[in-house]
Amino acid sequence: MLHHQLAWFVAGPVMGLCVVGCRALFNGRLGVTGGFSELVSKLSQGSFSFDWRGWFAIGIFAGGAVFLVLWGGPDFHGYGWMTRAFHGSGRIWIPILLLAAGGLIGFGAKLAGGCTSGNGLSGTAALSPASLAATATFFATAIVVSFLIKAVI
Amino acid sequence: MRVRIAAAAIGLVFGITLCWSGMSSPDVIRGALLFEHSYLFLFFASAVGTAALGLALLRRRERRALLIDTPLVWTRDSPARGHIIGSLLFGIGWGVSDACPGPIATQIGQGIGWAVFTLVGTVAGVYLFLHRSLPETEPALDVKPGATPATRMAGG
Repeated sequence: MLHHQLAWFVAGPVMGLCVVGCRALFNGRLGVTGGFSELVSKLSQGSFSFDWRGWFAIGIFAGGAVFLVLWGGPDFHGYGWMTRAFHGSGRIWIPILLLAAGGLIGFGAKLAGGCTSGNGLSGTAALSPASLAATATFFATAIVVSFLIKAVI
Repeated sequence: MRVRIAAAAIGLVFGITLCWSGMSSPDVIRGALLFEHSYLFLFFASAVGTAALGLALLRRRERRALLIDTPLVWTRDSPARGHIIGSLLFGIGWGVSDACPGPIATQIGQGIGWAVFTLVGTVAGVYLFLHRSLPETEPALDVKPGATPATRMAGG
């Protein structure tokens, strides 16, 4: 297991080069939500002929699996604040909260035209005002929500 | 075909880097959002900086895409209501689950069981959004050239 985080000044530029790669190779805007959307849309029609966005998302799932096989499982147990805050029968709240959070992530990212990658990375790097506004909004919201959760639990 | 292979390869690098930088861990995300660690912000800023530099170089040279015959063009949209409202909803989900679509995918790949719920929720959210607009757009496809809205309603 790689117990140390890859240095930010290596990891960050690699992510940035992924954005540049999508643009340079096939004029694509890297975005994970776009990939999810492609998979959901095609699979719900019973089709497996995904465009590049779908294959990009499949690559990310595979990246997690490759990491698991080559370097071992995650170096943490449970699931963040949730498994610390909820015990016994109270754990029923964890799937409820994760399902609801996922719903907001999926619907919200589609409505906003991107998530942390599509708006946050690709959009801000292209200096798109819409993506800059979206990124400022979701970072600020997530920070406020995290402090609210900290205050409550 | 080459585009799909290239996209999958970029996704693979993207996913491994997400895992290696600790983004699959909800506590790493949460620690950043509570300003306890600077790693995520430095990681994110250096990613945006690298991408911005690369895109600026591509734009300056007015190149064409390497794998398909198309010019490298992209738009810079003005903020609309959807960007803000969508990002508010997204930010709540991100802050509660300490995961966003990339890390959700790598959590699944890494076999983190709890992430199944986040993934199911995300898929449902995307599905809901995609099908929300269908009743509005589908009838429009049936309109024959020259048909008036009245005949469309009568016929349909």
